[in-house]
Amino acid sequence: MSLVALSELLGATVRDASGTVRGRVREVAVAPQEHPTAVAFLIVKTPDGERMLPSSSLKSCGLTIRATDEVGGWDKYTPSDGLLLLKRDLLDQQIIDVHGRKVVRVNDVELDATPVNGHINLSVIAVDVGARGAIRRLTQGVVPAFTMRTLLERIPPRVIPWAYVDLLETDPARRVKLKIVYEGLSKLHPADIADIVEDLAPAEREAVFETIDEGVAAEALEELDPKVQVSIVESLDSDRAADIVQEMDPDAAADLLEKLAEDRSGQILSEMQPEERNEVSQLLEFGKRTAAGRMTTEYVSVPDGGTVDDAIEALRQFEGSREAVATVYLYSISYKITGAVPLVKIAISPPSTPLLDLREEAITCLPDTPDDEVAGLFDKYNLVTLGVVDQDQRLAGIITADDVITMLRHAD
Amino acid sequence: MAGLRSFLKSWKARVVLVLAVIGPGFITANVDNDAGGIFTYSQAGAQFGYTLLWTMIPITIALIVVQEMSARLGAVTGKGLSDLIREEFGFRVTFFLMLTLVVINFGNVVGEFAGVASSLGLFGWSKYYVVPVCAFLVWILVVRGTYASIEKIFLTASAFYVCYIVAGVLAHPDWKAAAFATVTRPEAAGIRNYGYLYTVIGLVGTTIAPWMQFYLQASIVEKGITAKQYRASRWDVIIGCIFTDVVAWFIIVACAATLYATGRHDIGRDGADAALALRPLVGEYAYLLFAGGLFNASIFAASILPISTAYAVCEGLGFESGLDKKFHEAPVFYWLYTVLIVVGAGVLLVPRLPLVYVTVLSQVVNGIVLPFVLIFMLLLTNDRELMGEHTNSRLFNIIAWTTVVVVISMTVLMLFFHK
Repeated sequence: MSLVALSELLGATVRDASGTVRGRVREVAVAPQEHPTAVAFLIVKTPDGERMLPSSSLKSCGLTIRATDEVGGWDKYTPSDGLLLLKRDLLDQQIIDVHGRKVVRVNDVELDATPVNGHINLSVIAVDVGARGAIRRLTQGVVPAFTMRTLLERIPPRVIPWAYVDLLETDPARRVKLKIVYEGLSKLHPADIADIVEDLAPAEREAVFETIDEGVAAEALEELDPKVQVSIVESLDSDRAADIVQEMDPDAAADLLEKLAEDRSGQILSEMQPEERNEVSQLLEFGKRTAAGRMTTEYVSVPDGGTVDDAIEALRQFEGSREAVATVYLYSISYKITGAVPLVKIAISPPSTPLLDLREEAITCLPDTPDDEVAGLFDKYNLVTLGVVDQDQRLAGIITADDVITMLRHAD
Repeated sequence: MAGLRSFLKSWKARVVLVLAVIGPGFITANVDNDAGGIFTYSQAGAQFGYTLLWTMIPITIALIVVQEMSARLGAVTGKGLSDLIREEFGFRVTFFLMLTLVVINFGNVVGEFAGVASSLGLFGWSKYYVVPVCAFLVWILVVRGTYASIEKIFLTASAFYVCYIVAGVLAHPDWKAAAFATVTRPEAAGIRNYGYLYTVIGLVGTTIAPWMQFYLQASIVEKGITAKQYRASRWDVIIGCIFTDVVAWFIIVACAATLYATGRHDIGRDGADAALALRPLVGEYAYLLFAGGLFNASIFAASILPISTAYAVCEGLGFESGLDKKFHEAPVFYWLYTVLIVVGAGVLLVPRLPLVYVTVLSQVVNGIVLPFVLIFMLLLTNDRELMGEHTNSRLFNIIAWTTVVVVISMTVLMLFFHK
């Protein structure tokens, strides 16, 4: 096997079986549906148009390319959607390095040329993002190819194996879409996805959010700057936007929808599931810089007559955010809040312990409590969660410490 | 591109209020009247009186067209200029363009520190202290991210530019002659005169500086302006350009009415000479305003130029960039940024360095390089695959290509008549 760089292939002269020069390589095409790494054919620019030289007809693949058959056997090239063209789609473009969790620019592409049954098997193995590819492309045609090869071997390569690459592909109509060959991006932590997304242009961001799983998309969206959130949600169609928004934390979803134009947020709301829609629209009605605007309506509460076992069961059933489970709230028959039990106490008590034995006073505030007072309560009582109650002392929602940190950081 | 985006984001988040009223176009316009601009306009007025005022109208038209192209490229593609050049023209072209950009921007950084040195020199402070101190301040402010809060001050202090208009009025120019000179056809003899061509190219280079196109496009992308919202931004750009050139016109007029009229045709080794010469002619306060405006303009541009160069280069060539990265994670980015400031300021410490000469020279080099940057911008803005329905209009193409041809011809003529 031997390594060939894409930049060496491009522009190389092509000789057919008769040994006559027939043209130069213009593009290298991969057909991902057929094989994710194998080169399907080379596009050769010949005096009478562009022709496809299938890799099964490659006899040798070096500075000159030799084919096993005559030029007549190469079909005319017609552009097609499903193809990955290495020069157009990869060279000089930004790709997502799933392993390094960042966006990088492609300097060159490394291909492997292995002789099999009398022809050459060409396949993509890695993407060069380092100095080796850069210098090769800089010196090409100026420094003799052989000298260059020996010289370049001394430069340590910086490559990303093809398996760790996700690329943003542009189709002929210039619409960007994420081409997830190995679904690497979806497996990343949402915070990493958010970092990657921030490095992309708007159209590319849209492509990412159209492709990845809604749950992951929702979490990644929450990690982004509010301004970026808005521009992404505006670019998605309302159906897809609703799918993602309803997976978000209700308070984050409300914050986001509030920033959108009214008809747009209304449209998204109307396409959400009824349950999520109710929660979010409730939050939207509250003032933004008050406890009501900060709270989430997903919390854990059990009747105060219950035991630790009941509380654990309630925790099992709970589908909200992890921050919200830090406290289990207790309510009376009339649904008034009567106390709170920290998760720690539940974890270390026998299942049959009555919750009233573990009860602590529940610190609460009213929905119209302004932000600074909310922060004050957290500070004063060292809270992890703060209950928000209505006039009748019924729990409307809770504020979690991470919301307060966010609130303080954006206070100015 | 993203790196510059997040850099701009961190400080721009805090100037949201200011930005609600004035946009990237206006800020770029303010940074445009930097030390290089002020020296070049002053020199033009001192050396040629009103005779170069005719350049202002064509330069303004070209400036509007070019800046509008940058802004539109940013809004439609969501990418920076160096990213687009890399993606559309490949590695080699980008490499040499970035190399050129580093060299000319280095010249501009030297010019900015020359502005710092001469403005503070007016207060009797030696450049051997003020330049290193200011260079260090700029470096640390940007790296530490505290630049954000300072930005507001610079922007507010940009109101100082009005002082050039005041100085222009106080200089009691011959308004009729100045207005007439602005709209008359230039004399044909100029194209055989080396000094004349040199100054005209300098005027073009300082007003339509190549680095501003990279900076403006990045700002548009950072602000998240899309093709849909672009209409409003277009006006921001146009008004910014006109403001820039009105200020420029008054600087030329002020120096023409005072320095040229009294026979001081060279503002000399030190830009402060210009202000000092203005002192008896326009009074104590105008001269202090002149110095204050020059200092603000210089330090404002000195804070933006090196970092924006580092971002453009690293993003075009694919090096790690961003102030959120640690030094060892983005070594090229930090080194480039640091070297531009340290060496740029270091040059100023050379004894008896002719500050104005060096600064104006850097603007002439800007002018020589401009057509090449413009050609790339023209190819990009006419690429239908990239721009869709937002490609250049025929009128824009005519104006921009004319600019390219005229500036290249002037450069060739200048070299031809060089003694």
